[in-house]
Amino acid sequence: MRREPIDPSGLEWSRVSPKYLRVRLLGWLIGSLVWLVIAGVPLVLRLTGVWDSFPPLWIAWGLPGLVLVISIWRGVLLPRQVAAIGYAERDDDLLVRQGVFFQRTMVVPYGRMQYVDVAVGPLERAFGICTLKLHTASPATNAFIPGLPTDEGTRLREQLSARGEARLAGL
Amino acid sequence: MTTAPEPPGDVPLPTGSTSPDVGGATDVWHRVHFISPLVRGWIALVAILYFVGRDWFEGLFATETRGRNPLPEGVGLLVAVGILVGVVVVIAAIFLVSWYFTRYQVTAEHVRVHSGVVFRQQRQARLDRVQAIDIVQPFLARIFGLAELKFEVADAGESAVRLAFLKLDDARKLRATILARAAGVVPDPEHPEEIVEAPEREVVAIPPARVIGAAVLSGTTIALVVAVVVVITLGIVFETPIIATSFIPILIGVVGAYWSALNTGYNFRAATSPDGIRVRYGLLDTRAQTVPPGRVQALSIIQSPLWRLKGWYRVTVNVAGYGLSASTEGQARATLLPVGTRDEVLQILALVLPDPGTPRPVEVFTAGMTGRDGVEGFVTTPRRARWLAPLAWRRNGFAVTGTAVLMRSGVLWRQLVVVPHERTQSLSIEQGPVDRRFHVSNLQFQTTPGPVNPRVLLADTATAWELFHGQAARAAEARRHGGPEQWMKPVPRGSAVAGATSRSIGDGPADGAASASPQHLTAEEDESSNEVPSEFVHEVDPTVVPGPGARLEDELEPEVMPDVPRYVPATTSEDAADGHR
Repeated sequence: MRREPIDPSGLEWSRVSPKYLRVRLLGWLIGSLVWLVIAGVPLVLRLTGVWDSFPPLWIAWGLPGLVLVISIWRGVLLPRQVAAIGYAERDDDLLVRQGVFFQRTMVVPYGRMQYVDVAVGPLERAFGICTLKLHTASPATNAFIPGLPTDEGTRLREQLSARGEARLAGL
Repeated sequence: MTTAPEPPGDVPLPTGSTSPDVGGATDVWHRVHFISPLVRGWIALVAILYFVGRDWFEGLFATETRGRNPLPEGVGLLVAVGILVGVVVVIAAIFLVSWYFTRYQVTAEHVRVHSGVVFRQQRQARLDRVQAIDIVQPFLARIFGLAELKFEVADAGESAVRLAFLKLDDARKLRATILARAAGVVPDPEHPEEIVEAPEREVVAIPPARVIGAAVLSGTTIALVVAVVVVITLGIVFETPIIATSFIPILIGVVGAYWSALNTGYNFRAATSPDGIRVRYGLLDTRAQTVPPGRVQALSIIQSPLWRLKGWYRVTVNVAGYGLSASTEGQARATLLPVGTRDEVLQILALVLPDPGTPRPVEVFTAGMTGRDGVEGFVTTPRRARWLAPLAWRRNGFAVTGTAVLMRSGVLWRQLVVVPHERTQSLSIEQGPVDRRFHVSNLQFQTTPGPVNPRVLLADTATAWELFHGQAARAAEARRHGGPEQWMKPVPRGSAVAGATSRSIGDGPADGAASASPQHLTAEEDESSNEVPSEFVHEVDPTVVPGPGARLEDELEPEVMPDVPRYVPATTSEDAADGHR
C-alpha cells in the first residue's frame, strides 16, 4: 500500500480482500459486454443493410471501438483502483481511502457514527465478501469499505458499533 | 390499532384558557387552541366560501335574467344556503374531530404528541435532543394572538413536534419549560410549576432601512438590471416593442424576491440568553428562533460584491434540526444575521463561539472576512497553484484557532466558514490529477445538512495532510472535553474551576499564527499523530458554552441577565477576555 509522506507513524493500512478484484472484474466484464452490444447495434444494422446511408460507416465502426477502448482502459485501471482502497482503525477514528486519479481519504470519528451498514449483493455473496458503509449525521459522509471478507465485515461492524458507543458524542 | 392511553384527567381541557400546567402534574395532556384548525384551514375555508358563493351569485343572476329555474325563488335560496351550511359544518366537524384527537404532553424527559383519528400517530421526542425551538406566528395567527411551536431534532427533515396553534404566552411558557428541562435545570422544589423564561439580552438589532438597502444592493437588483438591458436590447434589435411585455413576469419575480427579503429580514433582532441564541424577525409572519448552546454545526459569513460598498455581511448557519431547504422560509431560518456590519458579525460570532481560541479574535476573524495572503495565521494556496484559481488564490486559505477552523474563500463573493472543532462530523482530503500536478489538495468537512459547505480549496498537499490529521486529533480532543449536552446541568464545582484555570487565553501571543504554520505542525506530527498538539489542549475549554459566566450565577439568581460574550481587540484582550479567571 502506497504511503503518504505525512502518514503518521504506526498507521497500518488494511487492504481489502483480493476476491473483491475478481468481483469487480466480473462486473466489469458483464458491463463492458452489455455496452459493447448496445454500441454495436448501428454497425450490425448498417452491415446487414437494414440502414442504408445513416450513420456514416466510420461512426458505426467508431462507436463500438470507442466503447472497447474505454472498457479496456477501465479494466486496466481496476486492479490499481482496488489496490488503492484501504482502511485503518485508529483509537478515535477510522480512516478510509480510495481512488487512483481522484484520490480521497476520509476520517470518520467513532463517536460521530450514527449507524453502520453491511450490504451484500448476489455477486459479493458468491465470493463471500461484503460492503461496509458508515453513516454520520452528515449525508455527505460517503464512507464505505467494499470487498471485506464477511467475517471481517462482521467483526468491523461490531467493533465500530462498540467503539461508537464508548465514544458517543452528541452532534 | 393502538388507542391512546387515556390519562385520568382526559376531560377535554380548554387549553386555550388554561396555561400548560407542565410543572406540577407532569403527565397532563393538553390540546392546542381550539380555533387553530380554523387558522390552519382558513385558506380551504375561504376557497370553499368563494366558490360556493360565486356559484350562488351566478345562479341568482341566471334566475333573474333567464327565469329558467324550476324551483321558486325562495326555495332555491334555501337549498343553496343549506348546502353551503352543510359543507361548512362537515368541514368544521372534521377539523374539530382532528383537533380533539390531537394532544400533547411534556414530561420531564419527553414531549409526546398523539394525533390522527383513523390512522393514529404517537410521537415522542427526547427533550435533551432538542436542536432548536421556533415560535412562528403566521399573519392570521398573529391576529388571533396564536403561535405555532416547532421543536427540532437532528433529523434535518420536518419538525419533530409542531404544535399549531397555542396562545402566544402558552407557547412561550412551553418553550421555556422545554428548554429548562433540556438544559437540565433543577426546578425549584417549592414552586416546581414556576419556570421562568431565561432572561435574554439583545445584542443586535437591524434597522429596517438597512434591510431595504440590503435588498436593493442584492443580486436581485443585478438580475433586474441585466434583464432590463437584455429586454431593451432585444426590443431594439428585433424592433418588436411587444417584447416589453416580458417585463411583467420579471417584475413579479423581482418584487417577490424583494418582498421575501423584507418580510424575513424586517425587525431582525438577535439576543443571547442562557438558553442559547434567540433571533426574531418578520414583517407579516413573525418568527422567534432559539438555538441552544453548541447546536450550531457550522457558520458562514458571506459578502456579495455590492454589499462591499456598505461593509455588510450575511451570516448563515448549519443547525441539525433545520436542514437544507430551498424555500424562503428555510433559508431565513438558517440565517443568523441577514445583513450586518463587521462589528455585528463579530458579536454574533462571539455568541456562537464564546471562546474564539485565539488571543486576537477580532484581528483573525477580520482577516478571514476581508483579508488575503498569510496575515493572522492564514495559510493560503501556494503561489505555484495560482493558475488553478487566478483570482482567489491569495484568499483561499484556512486558519486554526484553539476552538475552531476558519476557512476563507472567494474574491467577489467573499466567504469565511467557521467550524468548531467539536462539531466536525467527518473530514476528507481529496486530490485530482491536476491538483497532484501542482501539489495541492482539497479538504472537505462534512457537517449536517445546511447552507454552509466548509472546505479548504487548493491547499499545499503537505499542509493539507497536516491539517487533516491534526484536525482529526483536535476534533477527538474537543469531543472528549465537549460541553455537556444538558447545558445548564449543575456541573461539579471542581471541574468547572479546573476548566477555568486551565483556560489561558493570554499565553502564547503568536498562537493564532503559529498554530496554522506548517513547520510548527510538522514538529508535532513527528512525535505522535494521535496526540493533539500540546498548545491546543489547554485552550479547549470544557466549560465554555454561551454565557459561561452566567451559568453558575444563574443557578443562584435566575433573574441575572446573561453575560454577552464579546470579542475584544488584542490590545485590550488581557483584562476583558480573561474576566472568567
